[in-house]
Amino acid sequence: MPQTIFDDPDGTLAMLRDSVATLASRQPGPASLRAKRSASKDIDRELWNSMAEAGWIGLLLPEDLGGAGLGLAEQAVLSEALGRALIAEPVSAGAVFASTLLREAPASAERDRLAAGLASGELFVSPAWQDPSRHSHGAALKTVADGDDFILTGDRHFVDGATSASDFLVVVDAGREALVVSVPAGKSGISVSEKAGVDGSAIGRVTFERCSVEANRIIARGPSIEALVENAVTNARIAVAAELAGIASKAVEMTIAYTKDRVQFGKPIASFQAVQHRLVEMWSDAEFACASVVNAVVKQSEDDDKAAHLAVLAAKARCGDAATSICRRAVHLHGAMGFTDEHDIGLYLKRAIALSATLGQPEAMRLEFVELEYAA
Amino acid sequence: MATDWNAMSDDDFRAAFRDLVERRLPSELRFMRKQRPLFDEVAVWYHALNEEGWLSPVWPVEHGGMGLNPAKHMIYVEEWGRLGCPRIPDHGLGLIGPLLLAFGTEEQKAYYLPKILSGEHVWCQGYSEPNSGSDLASLRTAAVRDGDHFVVNGQKIWTTLAHCANWIFALVRTSRDEKVRQKGITVLLIDMTTPGVKVRPIANLRGETDFCEVFFDNVRVPAKNVVGEVDQGWNVAKSVLGHERIFLGAPTRPEIAMERLDKLARARGAFDDPAFRSRYAKHRLDLYDLGSAFERFAKVLREGGELGADVSLLKIFTTELYQRITEEMLLLAGEDARYFDDIEAGNGVVDAMNLFLDSRAPAIFGGSNEIQKNILAKAVLGLPS
Repeated sequence: MPQTIFDDPDGTLAMLRDSVATLASRQPGPASLRAKRSASKDIDRELWNSMAEAGWIGLLLPEDLGGAGLGLAEQAVLSEALGRALIAEPVSAGAVFASTLLREAPASAERDRLAAGLASGELFVSPAWQDPSRHSHGAALKTVADGDDFILTGDRHFVDGATSASDFLVVVDAGREALVVSVPAGKSGISVSEKAGVDGSAIGRVTFERCSVEANRIIARGPSIEALVENAVTNARIAVAAELAGIASKAVEMTIAYTKDRVQFGKPIASFQAVQHRLVEMWSDAEFACASVVNAVVKQSEDDDKAAHLAVLAAKARCGDAATSICRRAVHLHGAMGFTDEHDIGLYLKRAIALSATLGQPEAMRLEFVELEYAA
Repeated sequence: MATDWNAMSDDDFRAAFRDLVERRLPSELRFMRKQRPLFDEVAVWYHALNEEGWLSPVWPVEHGGMGLNPAKHMIYVEEWGRLGCPRIPDHGLGLIGPLLLAFGTEEQKAYYLPKILSGEHVWCQGYSEPNSGSDLASLRTAAVRDGDHFVVNGQKIWTTLAHCANWIFALVRTSRDEKVRQKGITVLLIDMTTPGVKVRPIANLRGETDFCEVFFDNVRVPAKNVVGEVDQGWNVAKSVLGHERIFLGAPTRPEIAMERLDKLARARGAFDDPAFRSRYAKHRLDLYDLGSAFERFAKVLREGGELGADVSLLKIFTTELYQRITEEMLLLAGEDARYFDDIEAGNGVVDAMNLFLDSRAPAIFGGSNEIQKNILAKAVLGLPS
C-alpha cells in the first residue's frame, strides 16, 4: 500500500513508523479525537505528552535546544504515520511551525526556554501569526513601543491549541519592522475564543487588548522575519501534506477491507469492476500523494530555492486533493455505514478537509506554483 | 573493444550520446513531426547507430548490444527524446530481440539477432486480431502442423509498421484447451515474403498509416521458427517487457503537449483569463507530480531493484494527462479547432489537432487503461474475482 519511500540506511524511519503504530494501539487516534470533540478540547494533553516523551514534538529542534535533531524526512514519516492513525493533534503548528521558527531565531534565553519546554511537552507554544483582517472581521495586530516594552493590540486567528497554550509565538507588525515575540498566555489583555473545527478540533482566535510584552520576550526582529516565517510555513506545509498522504493511504486500505468484506448479490462488492476501478483510482491517487511528499522533502535538501518552493506547493496541492477526494469516495463506498458518525471513515474525511484547507487550499497552491514558475 | 558504458559517469554518457547525435543524425530527421517514420525514412540514423555500437541499448554486449543497466538505459531514452531523435522501427530491438535472448535457441539467436542490428530484418508484432483485442487469449489465427512446417491461416490487425516490415512475430493458436484459453498459443516467426502473406495499411485518425492488417492464407512456416515451446507461447509473449514497462509511463507525451499548450496560450493571451489559469495550473501540476511519481519507480531501477505490477499506474496517468492537455488546446483554439492542419500561434504554428488526435491512441495501446485497472485490482490491491 502507498507510503512515502525515503532512503533509510539505519532504519530510523522504519522505527519511527513502528513507534507511532505502537502509541496508536495504546492511545487510538479516533477515540482520542471523539473524546476531545465531545469535551470541546483543543488538544489531548495526555496524547501530546506521550508524543513529547517519544521525542516527536521537538523532532526538528537541534539537540542542544532539547530536541531530537532530526530532519524533514523524519518529520514527513512521523506526520504520515500520525495521519494514518488519525492522531489529530496540531503537530504542524505546535511542533513543526514553532520548532522551525525557534531553531532559526537568534539564541536568547527566552528562545531557549521555549524550545526546551516545547520539546519536553511542559509548554505548549502556539503560533499566533495569521491576520484575520484580510479575510473576515477582526483587527490587524499592531504593536507600539512603550519604553522598553511593547503594547499589542489586535487579533490573530487560526490559532491551534489556543486554550491549552502556555505561550503564544506572535508575529507582529511594529511599524518600521516586524517582530516575533513570545507572550505568556496568562498575560492580562489576552482573550481566547474557540470555534469547533470540522475535524473535531477547536480553532482559536486570540484577541490582544493593550497587552504589554517585555523587551526580553523578543525572539526575532527586523527583515529576517519574513524568511523565518516562510521557512516555518514551508516545513508546516510539508508536515500537513505528509499527514494528508497518510490519511489518503489509510482511507484506501479501510475501503479495500470494507468492500472485500461486504457481501451483496452473493459476492463481495470488491469483486465488481465498477468498484474495483474506483479503488484502483483511489490507490493511484494515494501513490501520487506519497511521491509528491518525497519530492518536496528531497528538494529542500538541494541547492535550488525556487525548485524547493515549487515542490512544497505541489505536494500541498496534491495531498490535499488526493486525501479529500479519496475520503469522499471512501465514504461513498462504505455505503450508509460511511454516513454514520460511528464509523471512523467519516472522521478521516473531515480531517482531510480541515488539513487540506490549512495553510493554503490546493487551488491556491497551484496558482502560486504557476506564478512562481513563470516569474522569470 | 567494447566500451563499458555502465562504468561511465552519467554526465560522460550523456555527452557521448550528444556527440553521436551531432555527428550522425541528419538535421532534417531531428524533431520529426511523424511519430512513427517508416524504416527507409530513418534508415540513415538506424545504420549510423549500428555502426557506432549504439543501436541496441539493453542487449548484452556479446550479442552486439550496449548491455546498459536500467539506470543508464533511462538516460539513453531521456537523451533520445530530449535531442529530438526520430523513433526507429524498434520491434526487433525492443521485443523480438529480448524474446529470443530469453527463449530462443542458440541457432535462432545467431541467425536473427545480427540481422536485426544490420537492418536486414525489420520486424513487426502480430498480436491483436479483429476479435481479440483486450481479450488477447481468444485469438484464432491458426497454425496447423504439416510435416516440418506449420500452415498458418487467419488475420492480425493493428500491426504497427507491418507495411515496412519483412518479418512478423505472431501469436498463433496451435491447439485448444477449453478450460485455459492461454494454453495452446505459440510464438511463431514468419517471413513476410512467404506466399500467402498480405498487408493492408489502415489510415488512422491523424491521416497517417502507422498500423496495418496482416492476412495469412495457407502460409507455410518452418517449424524451427517456433520460439520456446509449442503451445506455451503465452508465457513467452507475456514476459517480454521487464523494466521497460516504466517507459510506457514516461511523461514524454504530456511534456510535448504542455510545451505546445504553453506556446498557444501565450500567443492568444490566455494567461490573462483566470478560468484558463486555473485549468492550466491543474494540468501543469499533474505533469509535475507525474515527474515525482516516475522518479519513485526510476529510483527502484537505479538501485538495482525490480518493478512490480504497480508501475502501470504511470501508464494510466500519463496517457490520460496527455488527453486532458490536448483537449485544453482545442478549447483554447476556439473556432480554429475546425482546422485539420496546424493553427497559428504568434510567429509560428501549433499542431493542436495533430496532438489531440494522437492522444487518443496511448490510452488504448499496450493494454487499454481499463485492462490495466483490472490487472492492478487483482495483482496489487488483491481484490477478489
